[in-house]
Amino acid sequence: MRLLSALDHQHTVAPPGYSRWLIPPAALSVHLCIGQAYATSVYKNSLIAHFDASQTAIGIIFSIAIVMLGLSAAVGGTWVEANGPRKAMFVSASFWASGFLVGALGIATGQLWLVYLGYGFLGGIGLGIGYISPVSTLIKWFPDRPGLATGLAIMGFGGGALVASPLSRQLLELYDSGYDSGVAGSVASSGALVGLFVTLGIGYFVIMMFGVVNVRVPPPGWRPAGFDPATVATKPLVTTANVSASNAIRTRSFWLLWVVLFCNVTAGIGILEQASPMIQDFFRDGGTSSVTVAAAGGFVGLLSLFNMAGRFAWSSTSDLIGRKPIYMLYLGVGMVLYALLAAVGHAATALFVLLAGVILSFYGGGFATVPAYLRDLFGTFQVGAIHGRLLTAWSAAGIAGPLIINGFLDAQGKPGTLTATAYRPALFTMVGVLAIGFIANLLIRPVPDRFHEPAAGPPPQTVTAEGTPTR
Amino acid sequence: MSQPPEHQSARLWLSWLLVAALLGYGVTQTVITAAKLFTS
Repeated sequence: MRLLSALDHQHTVAPPGYSRWLIPPAALSVHLCIGQAYATSVYKNSLIAHFDASQTAIGIIFSIAIVMLGLSAAVGGTWVEANGPRKAMFVSASFWASGFLVGALGIATGQLWLVYLGYGFLGGIGLGIGYISPVSTLIKWFPDRPGLATGLAIMGFGGGALVASPLSRQLLELYDSGYDSGVAGSVASSGALVGLFVTLGIGYFVIMMFGVVNVRVPPPGWRPAGFDPATVATKPLVTTANVSASNAIRTRSFWLLWVVLFCNVTAGIGILEQASPMIQDFFRDGGTSSVTVAAAGGFVGLLSLFNMAGRFAWSSTSDLIGRKPIYMLYLGVGMVLYALLAAVGHAATALFVLLAGVILSFYGGGFATVPAYLRDLFGTFQVGAIHGRLLTAWSAAGIAGPLIINGFLDAQGKPGTLTATAYRPALFTMVGVLAIGFIANLLIRPVPDRFHEPAAGPPPQTVTAEGTPTR
Repeated sequence: MSQPPEHQSARLWLSWLLVAALLGYGVTQTVITAAKLFTS
């Protein structure tokens, strides 16, 4: 019980002199772990062989996890705000780790439904709670640089795949000497898959505990040395008022921002989901591609790097130039880059990689900048809960993006026979999607006063001496 | 509850070291894989 009470909000308030630079690594230790969700393709073929199941049946594991991410972030956002980041991170670690362990049980016993329940359902809840758990806290610790702070944390989600992909390959090779990740068609044994899931589950739980131990909320009224809130409030669209999560979803700006995120993610996922076959198809001549399967894997890795770097670099830049201008860059320049990719992307591999890389950096930047955009519009009061509700745009885009790309490609021919021209209708459609997002971003206005929390009484974003939220 | 500065400093180093080790491993491995794009 003593251990559990240490997780409570009132035991999470930072003592005097606590360094705020302990919070980003705490957040990163959670996001680097849950970012594994983007690395499931490493063992997908082994799962297909083990369960003798279809691509779709195994793909459902990932789909359940992403749907649960959106749902748990949306539903659990208010709970996370009320209970604080430490308890939220602990719950996330417990769900995420138990998801792997239940998944391992499913693999060991040949029960696919247990993998759905474990990695998909339980793991998905860990994903959603873990994703939003540090966001509100970071914004409160870094009122002077919220974009940098959330960019650092959400960069970890992109970086998680960079860690998990090679680590999973190496662990599978360690547990199964007959498995060679460099050979197409090689699949790992069920014992190796169980070992991988158990190792990742335990390892991720331990790493996430670093976040649980180190995370703190700032004491009431705390602000960084030399920081004057008045300087931030003078910037366009930035409010000093606070809006509750229930009121935020009644505002036009929330739904316009939902459309912005949806369009940015839809366009990015279109490339991300199709990356490996896409680069081979763009450089196909007479039925044979000049880009090998191994080289295409390298392209996917490079895109992950751009995705991760964009999260930090663009989100930090938004602190300097503002949130609305940076989304005009993501969406406006993104439209130009997509059009160039469709028109001249096949001219040279380096050009193709550069265009796709910058597009993916905008995709990552869109994710990382949105918490700071929400802070600007709705204040810090329930920004984590509002962020959770906004992430339903991610779930929707996760369905729309692949549907658009695959729908057009299916009409153009069979996989392995497509060329660059087959991608043009899909890529120009993405230009249109980005144009909708661009217009939605232009229409975003400050939230009307009637949605603000009453200014009377203690400031809503502070906690009492006992640490309980004032609202 | 307040920590001595040296304890907090060690905590800071350890936290950032863990993150740097994880990210460094991931980035290095990815760059090795990505190099195949231009060498194969």
